[in-house]
Amino acid sequence: MDTKQLISEAKMRFNHNSAKSYLKDKYDSKLSVATQGGLWKATPTLIAVLSAYDEESIVLIDEYNNPILVNRLALLTIIKETYKTVMDAWATEWAILEKKR
Amino acid sequence: MGNLREEKMTKGILLFAFNTDKVDYFRMAVHTAKRAKHFLNLPVTVITDDSTDIEKYNFTFDNVIIKPADKSNTKDLDIWINKGRYQAYDLTPYDETLLIDTDYLINSDTLLKVFDLYDDFMCHNNTSYLMIPNAEQEKLNTNSFNTLWATVIAFKKTQKTKMIFECMRMVQENYEHYLNLYNLLGLSFRNDYALTIAHRIVNGQTEDTRDYIPWNLVHIGNNTIAYNDNDSLLNTSYTIEYDHWHNGKIRKEYGIVTDTDFHMLNKTNYMELINE
Repeated sequence: MDTKQLISEAKMRFNHNSAKSYLKDKYDSKLSVATQGGLWKATPTLIAVLSAYDEESIVLIDEYNNPILVNRLALLTIIKETYKTVMDAWATEWAILEKKR
Repeated sequence: MGNLREEKMTKGILLFAFNTDKVDYFRMAVHTAKRAKHFLNLPVTVITDDSTDIEKYNFTFDNVIIKPADKSNTKDLDIWINKGRYQAYDLTPYDETLLIDTDYLINSDTLLKVFDLYDDFMCHNNTSYLMIPNAEQEKLNTNSFNTLWATVIAFKKTQKTKMIFECMRMVQENYEHYLNLYNLLGLSFRNDYALTIAHRIVNGQTEDTRDYIPWNLVHIGNNTIAYNDNDSLLNTSYTIEYDHWHNGKIRKEYGIVTDTDFHMLNKTNYMELINE
């Protein structure tokens, strides 16, 4: 190994932007939920919409832009659970990677 | 009264592995099969030609299908045996198939989710490159639409999917025509292009977004090197090294990837990974 290569290796840095991008790819895939005849992505917006209504059933547009009649509370339960599980794992892994230099 | 007994649909993985002088694709297939069995718990069928000495790999696939290799394609002046992928529809022994490239490294059970999400066909339409955030999506040509990726295809045997694979065959057999028609980049036949064109034709030149896997296909590019973080066959943690050119200098960067499936574009690096 020559001096240039040694210096280059010593200066090697963890790329935090890449890590953010990789984590987004990784955990985005876990936010998709197929249930009640539609495809949903567990997002704060979906949770807010589901929480804002009182009705037992409502019609929502799914990820494929189809209107789907859903059981509101059943969907809310699954979406909230998925969102929390994924976000907890995402935050844990980010906390580890954030410390890398 | 309806039939109460529902027949269980069979699910499995299909791999194409034709060895060339430079790349041991069957070795890759064995590695992929071992990981697929562990992470996805699905049977694996491999399609290869009679020149492969299967015994020497010391691994038993659930099915081995022998088909002649079509050696009429080249890439970087070497033979590239990637033609004939359209045969997947007829050759698969499964009702629901995951057709996966042998250089796709399975590190999780994420792909199982596709079976819950799809109607009868799914592939990737979006990609990302590890260590290169915001990399542009590949297009058929500079003014055209995004390329679909044949790296991972999930399909059931339906009339629509049959048409997609038959269309892929048509594109392959008339590739020069489609090369000119779509002004495709490069001269080598690519299954990604055949799939993109076939999918468009079958859907009346429109996009059917239901057929797209709702997360990105993650690539490890040619200028990026992956290292196993441990010696286990079922290792799922990798250190990724990348030479970032900045102001005429190389700045070495690294990242760590765990429990994430990815597609290795650098076959030499992939062989090093699986031989470690």
